[in-house]
Amino acid sequence: MTTETLLRRITDYGNRADPYPLYEELRATPVARQEDGTRLVGTYREILHLLHDPRISSDLRNRRHRERAAPDDEDDQGLPPAFLKLDPPAHDRMRRLFMRHFGPPHSPRRVSALGEELPGIITGLVDGLAGRNRIDVVDDFAYPFPVTVICRLLGVPREDEPRFHVWADAVVASIDPGPEENPGERRRAGQQAKAEMGLYMSGLMADRRGSPRDDMLSGLVNDDIADSGVEPVELVTNSVLLFVAGHETTVNLIANGMLTLLRNPEVLADLRAAPAAMPQAVEELLRFEPPVHMLTQRTPLTDVEIAGVVIPEGVPLSLVLASGNRDPQRFTDPDRFDPWRPDNQHLGFGGGVHGCFGAPLARLEAQLALTELIRRLDSPRLAADPPEYRRNPVLRGPRRLLVDFDGMRP
Amino acid sequence: MRLMVDLNRCQGYGQCVFLAPEVFSLHGEEALLYDAAPDEGQIERVRRAAAACPVQAILVEEGPRAGLDTEADRDRA
Ligand code: HEM
Ligand code: SF4
Repeated sequence: MTTETLLRRITDYGNRADPYPLYEELRATPVARQEDGTRLVGTYREILHLLHDPRISSDLRNRRHRERAAPDDEDDQGLPPAFLKLDPPAHDRMRRLFMRHFGPPHSPRRVSALGEELPGIITGLVDGLAGRNRIDVVDDFAYPFPVTVICRLLGVPREDEPRFHVWADAVVASIDPGPEENPGERRRAGQQAKAEMGLYMSGLMADRRGSPRDDMLSGLVNDDIADSGVEPVELVTNSVLLFVAGHETTVNLIANGMLTLLRNPEVLADLRAAPAAMPQAVEELLRFEPPVHMLTQRTPLTDVEIAGVVIPEGVPLSLVLASGNRDPQRFTDPDRFDPWRPDNQHLGFGGGVHGCFGAPLARLEAQLALTELIRRLDSPRLAADPPEYRRNPVLRGPRRLLVDFDGMRP
Repeated sequence: MRLMVDLNRCQGYGQCVFLAPEVFSLHGEEALLYDAAPDEGQIERVRRAAAACPVQAILVEEGPRAGLDTEADRDRA
């Protein structure tokens, strides 16, 4: 088969459980032109270069033909784009404003303090599964956990969290339509959910203006910098971005993590005996089964030459992170899951100016969640392998991960 | 526990600061400061920080009772 059909084959649901042979095929061609004009790049070195190249835009308005936008491109109904979809300097200004309330140098303790609350949330969820011998790791744990965490981060009151879970469901369904369902309908429902979430979030922000609490929304609305020329609607769209970006990905990291550990029982046993190694294991998961398989939003602002090939101005460009992570030119024995791998500079969180904003929180969530799941579940095993996957080839992960076990340890 | 950061490799993105704010800090936008002999109570946070460093610039030397040194690890070393 020709490399021109790779994107079609990667998108084909039949290949969701194991797209890695397709990525191997992709790496044989540094820049693979697809039938629809999209250029795919799947080698580590080239992806890294392009992630750091200021001539590569994340703003879809720079595409020559809007209709050639990536399949998961959403219409934001006239709202300003979130910083994920902006280029510097507008991107940097907004990201810096949000970072002032999330990390160093302004808020160095936010993530670490939130980390203190995570074990309690995890224990609550796991305790709720007592008495069962089969769970769905996705719906019973990997999905509700990050939603709860992001609610705490932003400052959503606990009693309103259920509403966020409902909105989150609609948003996930919109990017993940079933085969028989009407994708247009789902997409509209997802946008409706985002709009309602935005409205609700503006309400929370209004409550906090002038009477701050210890949460991120309070910080944002009471920031003097925010007063200078930042529209309130920008704070809202970007807070919704945090919410969406913060759980659709983490759910996959936890579910892919359990799946990979259950497929590698010796590693699971080692990690149960030495949980101190879990941080490295999560890094290896981000390489081996990354939650984000490709970045589909890029467009060259001018003709850009890479590996001797010109990527023309204005064409859709996709960077296949999951392929770069398995590039044998960069990683020895790339198809082996090895938490003790040295020098693991994976592409799981992207890189360059858009490198994942929430990475420290995502890492902490996954480390603590996986440590506790393997500690508490007695003799866990997969009820189905491969599991049922979500439709989405970009945010790739199991839709259901059924695990049988003998009991719950205290 | 002893700690060293290769400041030639460090890119100053501060991933370590998020995860162990008592040990690492950023001065201004990009200058990293750190405590080279942190309290043992920080060990778990420091391990997380070292694993998260995107350029693996953080070197941790743990004491003999550090807990990492299990049989499983020795087999792999
Ligand atoms: C395992 C979990 C996660 C993974 C694998 C992940 C992955 C990524 C990747 C690959 C990008 C780069 C996108 C691009 O270059 O176009 C990104 C950006 C981003 N992520 Fe994450 N993410 C995760 C969790 C989170 C969490 C928990 C949050 C929020 C608290 C978050 C917030 C963001 C934001 C706001 C951006 C946009 C950054 C920018 O454009 O400057 N992510 N993430
Ligand atoms: S995480 Fe690594 S690169 Fe980043 S500031 Fe810390 S030591 Fe430097």
